[in-house]
Amino acid sequence: MERLDGYAPIREYAVVGDGRTVALVARDGSVDWLCLPNVDSPTIFGRLLDAERGGSFRLEPIGPYAVERAYQHHSNVLETTFATAEGRVRVTDAMTLTDIGRISPMRELVRKVDALSGSVPLRWCFEPRFGYGRAETRIERRAGRWFAQAGAEAIALGVFGTEEGTVHGDAVAGELRLASGESALLSLAGASREPAVLPGREDSERRLERTMRFWPGWVGRAQYDGPWADAVTRSALVLKLLTFAPSGAIVAAPTTSLPEWIGEGRNWDYRFTWLRDASWTLDAMLRLGFHDEAHAFFWWLMHASRLTQPELQILYCIDGSVHTDELELDHLSGYRGSAPVRIGNGARDQVQLDLYGAVLEAIWLYAQEVGRLDGDTGKEVARIADYVAEHWQDTDNGIWEVRDERAHYIQSKALCWVALDRACMLATEGLIPNGKRRWGEAAKKAKAFVDDEGWDAELRSYIRAPDMRELDGSLLTLALLGFHDPRSERIRGTVEAVERQLREGPYVYRYRGGDGLDGEEGAFLTCSFWLVDAFARGGRLDDAHALMEELLGLANDVGLYSEEIDPRTGEFLGNFPQGLTHLALINAAVSMADAESEGRERAA
Amino acid sequence: MTAWGALAGGAVGTIVLTSALRISQELGWTRMDIPLLLGTVFTDRRGRASVLGYAIHFTNGLIFALAYYAVFRAVDQAGWLFGAALGLVHAALAGGALLTVLLPAIHPRMGTPWSDAEETPLLEAPGFLLRNYGRRTVIWTVLGHVAYGAIVGGFAAQLH
Repeated sequence: MERLDGYAPIREYAVVGDGRTVALVARDGSVDWLCLPNVDSPTIFGRLLDAERGGSFRLEPIGPYAVERAYQHHSNVLETTFATAEGRVRVTDAMTLTDIGRISPMRELVRKVDALSGSVPLRWCFEPRFGYGRAETRIERRAGRWFAQAGAEAIALGVFGTEEGTVHGDAVAGELRLASGESALLSLAGASREPAVLPGREDSERRLERTMRFWPGWVGRAQYDGPWADAVTRSALVLKLLTFAPSGAIVAAPTTSLPEWIGEGRNWDYRFTWLRDASWTLDAMLRLGFHDEAHAFFWWLMHASRLTQPELQILYCIDGSVHTDELELDHLSGYRGSAPVRIGNGARDQVQLDLYGAVLEAIWLYAQEVGRLDGDTGKEVARIADYVAEHWQDTDNGIWEVRDERAHYIQSKALCWVALDRACMLATEGLIPNGKRRWGEAAKKAKAFVDDEGWDAELRSYIRAPDMRELDGSLLTLALLGFHDPRSERIRGTVEAVERQLREGPYVYRYRGGDGLDGEEGAFLTCSFWLVDAFARGGRLDDAHALMEELLGLANDVGLYSEEIDPRTGEFLGNFPQGLTHLALINAAVSMADAESEGRERAA
Repeated sequence: MTAWGALAGGAVGTIVLTSALRISQELGWTRMDIPLLLGTVFTDRRGRASVLGYAIHFTNGLIFALAYYAVFRAVDQAGWLFGAALGLVHAALAGGALLTVLLPAIHPRMGTPWSDAEETPLLEAPGFLLRNYGRRTVIWTVLGHVAYGAIVGGFAAQLH
């Protein structure tokens, strides 16, 4: 793997995490991203966004090497094997889970080195930079550990089975050479506003073992035996990493400001919970049978949105707060010069009516699964439905958060219909107070608007907005959410039009028109998986199968996807790994499994 | 100064405190819901949890009134102003320790900063000064407890 000006290609990263934060590990063994203590906290390693000032934890052979890596079977524990002329060595990276019944570090990243054959010399360099590289970091040695501190934040590095290393300026570095069969361990224990817990080697090894056992056990609960099971399993494991366990919130991606186009300014902070994406994640979790996670997210959703109900904010912090003020970090150069680096997200103030459809769909699926909604929750849901009935005719910024003028986006109107339709269904089941008459009337009008104003007879497709006679990849969601029968003329026509105008091979663009921002962007992987889903639901199983196979070939070597991809180079773009892409993959695979199963039943 | 007076004040004060928080919830100022937080220790059914939580909170209000009364007796002074000052201390205890540290530690359905991928808690923890439930939560919690203390102090001093 070659770095360009110190930056690894986004495709070359793998992710490890513990349900609270994640670390991104490059193929050359460098941990280039880690926020502590939580996924939305400031970075301690941020080389991803500034190769010089960001900080990292490097561990690689001295001299030329080849690399192979993979996750341990069905887990979020990464194994990187370096092969050199002198032998082979394996690095196991994991963020360990808390010990039950014993005091554990608040967060812990373990890097275990096993010499598989020969004797490979390696070097490591621990270069912490607190507070997005702004805070002054003090390094000292105490109690047999290296301590890095800044204010009330601290991280302790324990080095076991090899020499302890030496301080070089504001970094600690060392070398190790293990004989075949020997192992060493580097443990990073993080503490925030509390005394650091200092694990011994045995403690870290025990937690590593426990973590290795946990992941296959968790993902083994999935009830899925359809096609592409490995990709579905990996995607489920990614979504679990994006779930913030202390609250149940789900972040869109664990990074900020990875650019949608190299060198340009479309760089956003995704370490928040978008209600739309998270609601679709709940669908995916339910479809795979992860009921506890779906249950936890549903509680978070209803609790977090209480301050703004019946209006829903498009994104919330993972702790449920609504303050997501956007700032630019001018001291960071950005990934390969892609400035500005942003923290916080100004899209909060946008109006996106489509999210009500996603949320009500999630509530409907959840209620179907659980069979009940509590009285207070039912009333809250009814108030949200009333809000949609009153506001579906408003203009909005649409699903793509267009920072241009608001418009009557057809996908938003269709999703308002979904919201009202699901509210009627919930009322019919007696799960929420009855407002069927007013919701039903509004639903009828919203549907008529989409069919009258949003249909273009010449294009034989729904269009982006009545005054924007162009295609939009999000219109594929009409096929997924039952706006019309997926085999109907209008849905089939729209799918074919998206193929004609937005598809290039396996790639699908969100749109070709403007969005109020300068610069280009890559193809949007979620739209490609939506197309697979739409094919499957529309009965085009061969097309779905072929496209899915192509898309699976676009994943990186450990099965991860970013938000976008550059069709010319295959380079990953945007924040990584991207929850929306992975959940769209799951939903496409499950739809395919459902379609194949229906086909078999019909044939029988 | 009587214990019955303090208890009567505790009953009225708890109703005022709970109602104030409920009103601020309805007005969209906070997501703080003490009955729900307390009731969900025992059940994950929202409705039942709220009913149970109200009963627990009411009982707690009476127990705290007796603690206030013990302080009044110890310093041989009671009154709405002194009660309000104790209410401030009470708010600091509730917002700084009871709800933010102790409750998450014993609550089987509440997340803590240490919850990891193995857990799927149903309730988010209140966080320091309860700010996870909205930035203004701490204001209403302090005002509610000061009102509670003033009522307990006033009742304890007036009833003979």
